[in-house]
Amino acid sequence: MDNLGVFLQIIFWGLYAGCIYILLATGLNLIFGVMKIVNFAHGEFLMIGAYITATIFFISGINPYLIILLSMLALIGIGAVIERFCFRPILGTGKLNEIFLSIGLIYIFQNGAAIIWTDEWQSVKSPYDGISLPFGSLSVPLDYILIMFFTAAIICGLYLFLKKTTIGMQMRATSQNRKGAMLVGIDVERIDVISFGLGCALAAAAGTLWIVSGQIFNPYMGSIPAIKAFAIIILGGLGSIPGAIIGGLLMGLAENGAAFLLGGIWKDAISFVILIIVLVVRPTGLFGEKGD
Amino acid sequence: MKYSVLFIASILIVAVFIAGCTQQPATQQPSTTQGVIKVGVIASLTGPASNVGTNMWQSAQVAADKINSEGGVTLKDGSKAQIRLIVGDDESTQQGGQKAATKLITDDKVDILVGGYSSAVTSSYQQTIAEYKIPYIVTGASSPIITHRTDIDTSYIFHHCPTTDTYGQYTTMFIDQVVRPEVNKKLGAPAARPFRLAMLYQDTAFGKGVQSAVNNTITTGKLNIQLVSQQSYRMGESDFRTPLTAIKAANPDAVYLAAFPNEGAPIITQARRDIGLNTIFLNVENNDNAQFYKDLGQYGEGAIIESRFSPYVAPVGAVADAQNEFKQSYFARFGTFPDMMGASTYEGIFIAAQATKNAGTTDKVAVRQELIALNMPQVIEAMKDQTCSFSPDFRESTFDLWMEQLSYNATLGETRPLIVWPDNLKTTDFVLPSWYVAGSSP
Amino acid sequence: MHFKKDEMVKYGTVLALVIAITIPFATDSMFILNLLVLMLIFIIFASAWNLLAFSGQGSLGHAAFFGIGAYASTLIAANSGMSPFITIFLGAAVAAFVGILIGLTCVRLKEWFLAMVTFGFAIIVQTLTVSVLAPITGGWDGIASSRLLSPSIPGYQLIEYYAVLLITIASVAAIWYIMKTRIGLAFLAIRENELEARAAGIDPVRYRLLAFALSAYLAGVAGALQIHHIGYLTPELYGVDNSFWPVTYVILGGLGTLAGPIVGTIALTIIWEGLKSTGLTFGRYVIVGVMLILAIIFLPRGLVSLPEQVQGWLKRRKRKEPPSGTG
Repeated sequence: MDNLGVFLQIIFWGLYAGCIYILLATGLNLIFGVMKIVNFAHGEFLMIGAYITATIFFISGINPYLIILLSMLALIGIGAVIERFCFRPILGTGKLNEIFLSIGLIYIFQNGAAIIWTDEWQSVKSPYDGISLPFGSLSVPLDYILIMFFTAAIICGLYLFLKKTTIGMQMRATSQNRKGAMLVGIDVERIDVISFGLGCALAAAAGTLWIVSGQIFNPYMGSIPAIKAFAIIILGGLGSIPGAIIGGLLMGLAENGAAFLLGGIWKDAISFVILIIVLVVRPTGLFGEKGD
Repeated sequence: MKYSVLFIASILIVAVFIAGCTQQPATQQPSTTQGVIKVGVIASLTGPASNVGTNMWQSAQVAADKINSEGGVTLKDGSKAQIRLIVGDDESTQQGGQKAATKLITDDKVDILVGGYSSAVTSSYQQTIAEYKIPYIVTGASSPIITHRTDIDTSYIFHHCPTTDTYGQYTTMFIDQVVRPEVNKKLGAPAARPFRLAMLYQDTAFGKGVQSAVNNTITTGKLNIQLVSQQSYRMGESDFRTPLTAIKAANPDAVYLAAFPNEGAPIITQARRDIGLNTIFLNVENNDNAQFYKDLGQYGEGAIIESRFSPYVAPVGAVADAQNEFKQSYFARFGTFPDMMGASTYEGIFIAAQATKNAGTTDKVAVRQELIALNMPQVIEAMKDQTCSFSPDFRESTFDLWMEQLSYNATLGETRPLIVWPDNLKTTDFVLPSWYVAGSSP
Repeated sequence: MHFKKDEMVKYGTVLALVIAITIPFATDSMFILNLLVLMLIFIIFASAWNLLAFSGQGSLGHAAFFGIGAYASTLIAANSGMSPFITIFLGAAVAAFVGILIGLTCVRLKEWFLAMVTFGFAIIVQTLTVSVLAPITGGWDGIASSRLLSPSIPGYQLIEYYAVLLITIASVAAIWYIMKTRIGLAFLAIRENELEARAAGIDPVRYRLLAFALSAYLAGVAGALQIHHIGYLTPELYGVDNSFWPVTYVILGGLGTLAGPIVGTIALTIIWEGLKSTGLTFGRYVIVGVMLILAIIFLPRGLVSLPEQVQGWLKRRKRKEPPSGTG
């Protein structure tokens, strides 16, 4: 294998892994933009989404790529309930209360899932497992291409939703100026529910794609991706979608470079070294807005 | 809002009340009850290691049931004592382990302890064991440090599961004696050709323990094995492509993985499917569980697992029957199958019963003496000389480990193992798969 | 019956002290005594976290200081032969020093940014411990830590309990004193409005660093105490659990109050152990999770605000209800 091939391959894997983070980080950013809260338990929605997909797949045997929509719909519902009964009552009472609430949610979701689905590792076999496509000098599993395609489609769909629909425009208005939105008659609480639900649906999509690509999963699977997604949106600047994408790519490259040069143990630490350096220079992240 | 305050208050009161009430049953039975041997089982029932911990606790229950249904343990005065198990959940944390051990020892006043999974967790309560001098049969922690520590008295601690030193040594010997000649034969290379081994290990006490065991075995045995790449990853990692790329660049003849099952299966899948690393992967024994075969699918073909208890294979003879009986009673009761930490915990209960029987009493000094002098027939796993006994220096059991190779079964869509080493246990020979690519110097 | 608030605080403190001193005589269970020691250590840890939060800085990586205090104290004790009772305070000084360094990188950061950076520091410190520093820290294998008191001393558990109790009382008293002085007022001023604080001549950077140093020092004391109590030290000490526990304890008890960390730690310990003794495994985490969420929604100022809430509620009820009404 020539060096160029290796390089291309590493970029390709970075993109594939990045898809999961982009979906998670976009969901977190969507929620933050509208509600100005961050849900530390976001990874648990990824996990629930993955389990819902897996359960439907085990029962019906439908192509797991088709179940992604069902799983997203289910998570919109779960997300709406969590927003209405957990986050709304504490809205505006301080960031530490949000962390506290998230810890409670993490306990409930992780252990609730362990009760329902047991704590054993499980896996889902994609119907396209074993099929690879030649892609220049490399051969790429079809699943990875499908995952990138689905991620791109979901992000484009979200973009159109935000730009073209009334609710989407109301969401953008609320995220720009909450009080102004209330003044012009937007029901911001309804917008909160919708944004939170959509954010959770993106996590469910991430969870589904994660397991379909051959990753094995258990109830604790969500913690690490969520922390990374969270570090990425902090790095990119809270609420900034381009920041999340550039932050995700930067971390992906840094992590793999560190694992290669310093040893695997540095993979997580290096993300935070970069995060700290960036924040020392720019306290609101790469693309974060100055201000309060 | 106002009702809610009352609601919260009442919840707290109820919780405290439950706490108060339920504390009672645990201490209800006086510690001097005749005819009962109290065995404390320390297991991770919650937290990240909960699946292993649950397996250990359930296996202990199967063992206790079997002993009790056969009449229990005969003591010196001729009375029959039943085994009563009390579980302590270490929550997969050090504080949890310390609380669980203290509770079992001082509140429940157990006669003997069995269990213990993570070495980090186990080390947090070893001083309590030393202090109260309770015989403790460790059946899950794989680090040799458990009984090699010198800062405290470990003389009451007995280690009944292979350590990282053992796995590393066995697997390296297997590579030297079996894999190396096969590769040379395939290449038509002289016997003097050094074998190119790569390692990918979890950066924890477990992974590093295996790594240093491999290095030590090669150095002390002056083996003709060259470690061409040693890569590591953080526990819980799911993307192994970068270290695998580095390993592929080193052109290895085989790759030894010191990984947990949830890591081992993705490593091999990513290596074969994404990196195109078509080589032999050697795995540590804890990977030998049903889920590993399921997750691996076709990619497991040709891989090696060092093992002592497998869901799909058993060495011929009496051990096979005993293992099947254990698997069946476990399945009948819990609907799943035990794994090897469960198997050694099952034996741990039998060892505890045997030592108590030999001592004729639950007196801890006497039971410890009997554990030191233990010489009982193997229970379900193959032991060295077919007997369970602890080494005089560090009180460790010696298992008869074996190597199994996986072959693909298209109707199942999974691989199944066959024992290929050592000679007295093997049912078939080790073969290099047709797609195998040997390494070469770059 | 009606108490004034400061009366209630006074009686409450006396009562708590009396209970803390007499409790070992009420039980002969070593398990409960051991549990109490661990609980007292977490009271120090939670109070330390609370002190930092009091200055407006919420950390998600306090396990770093907890662990550094433990490692430094263990290593100093092992190499100098000093008693752990001395090295605890020396080790904590190392934690305080690192706290200042971390504080320096954090002075411009707020809220989530600060939380994430502190979280990252705990991971970086753990990585350093098992890689570069492995020759002295023992890497993942860990190292033995000398005991607070030798088990050969008769009744050493009792002495250990009172020693830890004394250190806990001293720590809480120190925090009480700090909060009362100019420093505490400065912390409060920075938290409430940094611009006004600056206008009033308070240097926010200096006080932020001071808060970091003090908080890290006490967290280091707690970590060292725990590890000298347990007797063995591994890098798992830097785990996320240990960073999240103080957040849970403090906010449950009451953020920014002196009693909050104490009440929160005691309440959660009792609930946790109570649920554990029912034999529930995953279920007890679910129950605790539900309780935490209910608590933050209905008691946003923590358990310490419960008496006030109840009193306020009773008053309102009396006012609203006509004398003849039965509801």
